[in-house]
Amino acid sequence: MEQIKKILKDLCDGFSVSGHELYGKEVIEKLAGGIFDEVRTDNLGNFILVKKSNKENAKKLLIDAHFDTVGMMVSQIKDGGFLKFVEVGGLDASVLPSTEVIIHGKEDVYGIITSTPPHLKVAGTGTPKLEDLMIDTGYSKERLEELVWVGAPVCFKNNVDFIYGNNVTSAGLDDKACLCAIFDAVSKMDKDNMAYNVYVTASAQEETGKCGPARASFEIEPDIAIITDVNFAKMEKGEDFESIEMGKGAGIDISSLVDRKLTRSIRELLDSKGINYQIVCEPTRTGTNNDALSISSFGVRTALMSIPLRSMHTPSETVNLGDIKSLSSILLAVATKEEL
Amino acid sequence: MRELLKKLSLAFGPSGCEDKVREIIENEIKDKLPKGATMTTDNTGNLIVHIPNEGKTKLMVNAHMDEVGFMVTGILENGMLKFGCVGGIDPVVLGSKRVIFESGVKGNVAVKPVHLLTKEEYKAGPRVKNMSIDIGATTKEEAEKITFVGDYFTFDSDYIEYGEGFVKCKALDDRLGCAIMCQVIKDIYEENIKSDYDLYFAFTCREEVGYSGAFGASMKIKPDYALVIESKAVGDIYGSPDEKKVSILGDGVIISFADRGAIYDRDFVRHIMSLCDKEKIKYQTNKYISGGNDSANIQKNASGAKVSVLSCASRYIHSQSDVIHLEDFENTYQTVLAVIKSAVPTKE
Repeated sequence: MEQIKKILKDLCDGFSVSGHELYGKEVIEKLAGGIFDEVRTDNLGNFILVKKSNKENAKKLLIDAHFDTVGMMVSQIKDGGFLKFVEVGGLDASVLPSTEVIIHGKEDVYGIITSTPPHLKVAGTGTPKLEDLMIDTGYSKERLEELVWVGAPVCFKNNVDFIYGNNVTSAGLDDKACLCAIFDAVSKMDKDNMAYNVYVTASAQEETGKCGPARASFEIEPDIAIITDVNFAKMEKGEDFESIEMGKGAGIDISSLVDRKLTRSIRELLDSKGINYQIVCEPTRTGTNNDALSISSFGVRTALMSIPLRSMHTPSETVNLGDIKSLSSILLAVATKEEL
Repeated sequence: MRELLKKLSLAFGPSGCEDKVREIIENEIKDKLPKGATMTTDNTGNLIVHIPNEGKTKLMVNAHMDEVGFMVTGILENGMLKFGCVGGIDPVVLGSKRVIFESGVKGNVAVKPVHLLTKEEYKAGPRVKNMSIDIGATTKEEAEKITFVGDYFTFDSDYIEYGEGFVKCKALDDRLGCAIMCQVIKDIYEENIKSDYDLYFAFTCREEVGYSGAFGASMKIKPDYALVIESKAVGDIYGSPDEKKVSILGDGVIISFADRGAIYDRDFVRHIMSLCDKEKIKYQTNKYISGGNDSANIQKNASGAKVSVLSCASRYIHSQSDVIHLEDFENTYQTVLAVIKSAVPTKE
């Protein structure tokens, strides 16, 4: 568990707003060192990490988690040190006021998202419009123009808090929680026992176009692929069945867009080994990288796995470390099983 | 004084739980009390420092120790907590913010993910009843091991100085006033300042829930004059209409005429303005009548004191990110000191 905490903290402290994943290169290279044989990037911003089996003619297993996170981008520089911004990925404007951010300009600039006091509001209550919010940097316009530019990426100022009950709260756990599980699993894979050559994509631009691993799959041409992403954790009792419970293990998704045989084989494998998991139902599209990856190249056999997460796309996403460990164990089991 | 501001602002002290803040203040000034001065805590929890000058006009300098916060009102089967706000907090600054309990337990304000909100829900905006606190517990029993119904918590916030002279933290409202009063008391001791007033410094409780502490404090003191040190919510952000900006951060201490709770004493206000002119202290007025503070209760209580309020303009007040300008903070301190050193105002 200590290894998981360490990997997770490094990943979450790394900056990787969609479209700017390569800013986080140092973090990925540091974590991949000693675990993978090869680390490379592509033009889109994907990190492709390879660990080969000692077995001859091993098939190719692609495991994907996206490295990018939701964030913002500077759109205008205004008087008094205020920046207008646009969202990158889907943000909830009702959680933004008074939130702290870091603008990655020539240097890192601290800022606070504005909030109008209730008694001075013109528009009344309700969710503010994103275009009415700004980032307060405390600089003069002139100084600010030296420090940042229109188009500069912005992320939430983050604290990784390990809280009660083996849980962790941080920005960017979507999808770094899964990426952490992958790093943990691959670090435990023994080249002599690996049934596959493992290709991990820490992929780009999931939040904006879900295109990362689909691009990479043209290059890798995997035999099978496992996509890992976070899913909505049940928050209130009796909430819809398409979400999973915190702390009860990773989920295996059943959907029309995943490979039925592969999913079934994985479940049989886990059942035979007594590894715990939850079932997630996604009757149609899954809303993850799976949907594009499964039809990329000549079509790929895919399975989808989930980690439950609370408060998605906010600066305080929460996951259970046990669920990360669970996904890691599942991936480790899959990587050693031939003929899935 | 900035170090003290940081220490005080980070301390835990929602209305009714001011003990930790009071303790810091006591430790800060207990060895710096001028000869003959007394420090007492009354029944409400107000800390009152008296620097006597017998028979002279009584001046009560006032700042509140409490901050806005939250209370656990229920624990759900899934380990999430329902809560209510202690003091006025706009739900729009709540979602996804980190919180901390007196015990050190940490959590965050969990919200329904934006993906699952209906258009109507999104448009209607956040409601406290739709939020819950995630402390990491997944069952009610687990949650009950580390918290209870009636437990208090506050924003979990860092003290950060940023931009050109700004500072942000939770609870700058009104720990800035507490920090200034501590400094003034120390100055009186260290510089042996003799005031024309019979001086009282009241660090009050429960301001955020109806200016309650100030009742007891002013009953006891029965001041002739009261000077309240506060932070003032302003709309000083790009694009706001001028009058809605109220006041501007960095333009000096705000010497107001009135707020929603009180009309301040005209002569006292003018007296302070002329002191600032004389001492070349930067000040501004408020361009919009809003908010309220302890002055409302001090003014209408027993002695019916003549009140005036000095405030620091604050953006995003009552959130994890109260923002003030450090120059305003300094100017406010200078003004309090000038008042203490000045002669009792006379009618023009």
